Amino acid sequence: MAELKEIAKELLTSGTVAYIIGYASEKNDKTVPFIARTVEDAEKLVFTHHSVNNLSVYLKRIKKPESGKVGLVVKGCDLKAVVALIQESQSKREDIYIISPKCNTVVSDNTKPWNKDNIASKCLSCEVRTPSLFDATFGEIETVELPSDEQIELIKKVEAMSTSEKWEFWKNEFEKCVKCYACRQACPLCYCDQCIVDKASPRWIDSSATVQGNFAWNMIRAFHLSGRCIGCEECNRVCPVDIPLSLLNRKMSMFAVSEYDYKAGTSIEEPTLVGTYKLTDNEDFIK
Amino acid sequence: MKIGVFVCQCGENIGKTVDCVGVAKSCASIPGVAVSMEYKYMCSDPGQNLVKQAIADNGLDAVVVAACSPHMHEKTFRKAANGAGINPFLVEIANIREHVSWIHDDVPSGSLKATDLIRSAVEKVKNNAPLTTIKVPVTKRALVIGGGISGIQAALDIANAGYEVVLVEKEPSIGGHMSQLSETFPTLDCSQCILTPRMVEVYQHPKIKLLTYSEVEAVDGFIGNFKVKIRKKARSVIDEDCNGCGMCIQKCPTKKKAYSEFEEGMAFRPAIYVPFPQAVPNIPVIDRSVCTFYKTGKCKICETVCGRKAIDFMQEDTILEEEIGAIVVATGFKLYKITKPEPGSPYEGYGEYGYGEYKDVIDGLQFERMASASGPTAGEMKRPSDGKEPKKIVFIQCVGSRDESKGFSYCSKICCMYTAKHAMLYKHKVHDGEAYVFYMDIRSGGKMYEEFVRRGIEEDGAKYIRGRVSRLYEENGKIIVKGEDTLAGVPITIDADMVVLATAMVAQKEAPKLAQILGIPYDKHGFMSESHPKLKPVESSSGGIFLAGAANAPKDIPESVSMASAAAAKVMILFSSDILEREPVIAQVDESTCVGCFYCQKVCAYNAVERKEIKDRNGKLIKVVAYVNEGLCQGCGTCNATCPSKSVELIGFKDEQIFAQICALNEI
Repeated sequence: MAELKEIAKELLTSGTVAYIIGYASEKNDKTVPFIARTVEDAEKLVFTHHSVNNLSVYLKRIKKPESGKVGLVVKGCDLKAVVALIQESQSKREDIYIISPKCNTVVSDNTKPWNKDNIASKCLSCEVRTPSLFDATFGEIETVELPSDEQIELIKKVEAMSTSEKWEFWKNEFEKCVKCYACRQACPLCYCDQCIVDKASPRWIDSSATVQGNFAWNMIRAFHLSGRCIGCEECNRVCPVDIPLSLLNRKMSMFAVSEYDYKAGTSIEEPTLVGTYKLTDNEDFIK
Repeated sequence: MKIGVFVCQCGENIGKTVDCVGVAKSCASIPGVAVSMEYKYMCSDPGQNLVKQAIADNGLDAVVVAACSPHMHEKTFRKAANGAGINPFLVEIANIREHVSWIHDDVPSGSLKATDLIRSAVEKVKNNAPLTTIKVPVTKRALVIGGGISGIQAALDIANAGYEVVLVEKEPSIGGHMSQLSETFPTLDCSQCILTPRMVEVYQHPKIKLLTYSEVEAVDGFIGNFKVKIRKKARSVIDEDCNGCGMCIQKCPTKKKAYSEFEEGMAFRPAIYVPFPQAVPNIPVIDRSVCTFYKTGKCKICETVCGRKAIDFMQEDTILEEEIGAIVVATGFKLYKITKPEPGSPYEGYGEYGYGEYKDVIDGLQFERMASASGPTAGEMKRPSDGKEPKKIVFIQCVGSRDESKGFSYCSKICCMYTAKHAMLYKHKVHDGEAYVFYMDIRSGGKMYEEFVRRGIEEDGAKYIRGRVSRLYEENGKIIVKGEDTLAGVPITIDADMVVLATAMVAQKEAPKLAQILGIPYDKHGFMSESHPKLKPVESSSGGIFLAGAANAPKDIPESVSMASAAAAKVMILFSSDILEREPVIAQVDESTCVGCFYCQKVCAYNAVERKEIKDRNGKLIKVVAYVNEGLCQGCGTCNATCPSKSVELIGFKDEQIFAQICALNEI
């Protein structure tokens, strides 16, 4: 943590960055997003097991500073969102100073202390605890004992369902949806100024509180993220009614890997899965 | 809004399965429809007058014609309506022929569907806006890519019509494959004798800018307004200073390090060379891969002997930028090299024919050079291995062509004819020689072609054997050819002195790359695709880019020349007006909601999406959004479908219009 503060101070003093988006401590070990603009602010920056939020979401809202870059404290997993944003022309690599820690997993429930049974599900299959893209890094990798991946078991369970069972399963889940659109707000890749669901003339997407409306919104979002979702699971975390949105997104990501050998947010140079094609692309779906 | 509905019976075509009278009657009650009528042939003159009259009588604002596909008569009715004072884009077609009468046979349900489609079109037309055509200026300057016979013909035709032409050829001389041929079928006139005057004409033409040893590197812009980057490769000889005396070539000590491309590897050429004596331009080029100077830093004999000081060892490639209005692609073909499969190639090659292994197995172009008076043997029949006159030659047709499993599925089209020619030329030179031709079928469609083949068989005594050759091998200085005579049903063995393989015509290796630079489609073999196989055979699917000759598919000389002239005519049509008018159906970006993800740019097949910076009045960048170049956009709608925030719409097919159309169908 001292390392992070030193890095931050140096960056702010030298004017390399205009500010740093990071985490600050709150009560009960919790951390909250925090913007450090001064050396005094830098003292407040922390990175703990409770640094859950994907801070790359703020990149979609900020304007380029007058001088200096935007410093961003970002975990390896969330870094994929930065890569995706650059791939999709929403950010420029040269405008961001990436401070990416070596991460020893984060909590699932931010109100409870970190332990073996309180680890975020995305950490269970994490391949990027040591980040591969950064301007500065800190911390040390420790061995972490991981619980079993229940999410993947659930995906398998849903996959095994019949069409009508799947329909019932999702109908029940989506029925809880109150269209608060927190999923959209928390998602770093939902950056449209005008979401298709808000387009009123004509209203293509019926978002009424009906079975159709519930499906329309949630399925459209899953489709718009297919091949793009980087699996930060922020949508899952912020959903006030606990719809397992990650199931959809993770399933789509698995599909992108199995069918097109594509992992979203892996490389800035790689053409995006959607919108480009390779001659080797699987075309089995064209009947 | 007052809308008129006009239901066409198309004689029996629609009338038989759609109750047009009933449909017209029920459409009269659609809100907004002021008049609804039917007629036997709405596209006929009286039919069109009916539309015009109804517009005048009822003061109509918009028209829906229920008839055939808009591909057929949309233009007709737009013109008719325009004649009566209605904007042509306030005319909608409900396709009740291809979408109804031709695919259904039940009258009541067909009529119901026809009514639905008309109602849907009425709802769309209510949301239509009057549009005007897009006008873009035309640069009256053509680019012809490829200096073979097709490119030469196209360049001359366009230049003779009074327009400037830039002719780009990647080799040091124009002339292409035709300059390598000895004689041409079916007249047996000398190829160079008929070609070289054209080459000289190109060189001397004041309207033609000839760029040899050059390649097209990048093409930007759109029909009438292309910007083309051309790489002029370093010749190591200064064009303007060289007078073509040839002293450098004579004195070059590097004589036997490189095979002559022009002689198809049957002769050597020096490091500094012109491909052939009649080359245009007659300016040599140094092959840096074999030149002693570039290898050791010593020699410079050419520089010493050049009285004009035209040698420039330090010369670098230069990039020229040209403003172009239309492009003719005439990049031609190459022959399938059948030795062995190339790495990464899906084609298997013909190892069993021993090409490249047995010296006396040659391909068609090599035979042309051997038969040519200017060739390495001065036109005498001398087989490559020992220079002896071959007394028995076996010609094998369809090597690679018409063989999906090992080669190409298509027929190379010219091989039947040139093999007949080869057999005749051989017999004319070696009177006591025997010529055997193994063939699958003889395809001699074309003026005087069949007669030509018959002449080869009947007068010159070429022996045609219907069947394939299974194997070749060398034995006692002979090539033993084992095959089958399928008509007699017997295996056959011929001890030949030489074998000539009629290998397939294939696309140039770089053709796909060039097609990508141009943004035009090509097929799986690498041939450039025409826009419509019957009605638009010389147009590519990109506006202002035309095709000529074997770049499109295997073609012989007369066909290539015809196609080149046709492409030239298309260019002239384009150049005949100062302003180009286009349909206004193009994509349009809502800059207020566009977030600049540029997925539209990724999916655009026409490179029509650009980046546009939105700045405030102090010049500060606010955001970057997508911008559609109206000259390039073809209105395909792919960006429209891709845009996640629905910020792209197609003018004439806006979301509101389509939505109204769909909702109307939902009212049933």
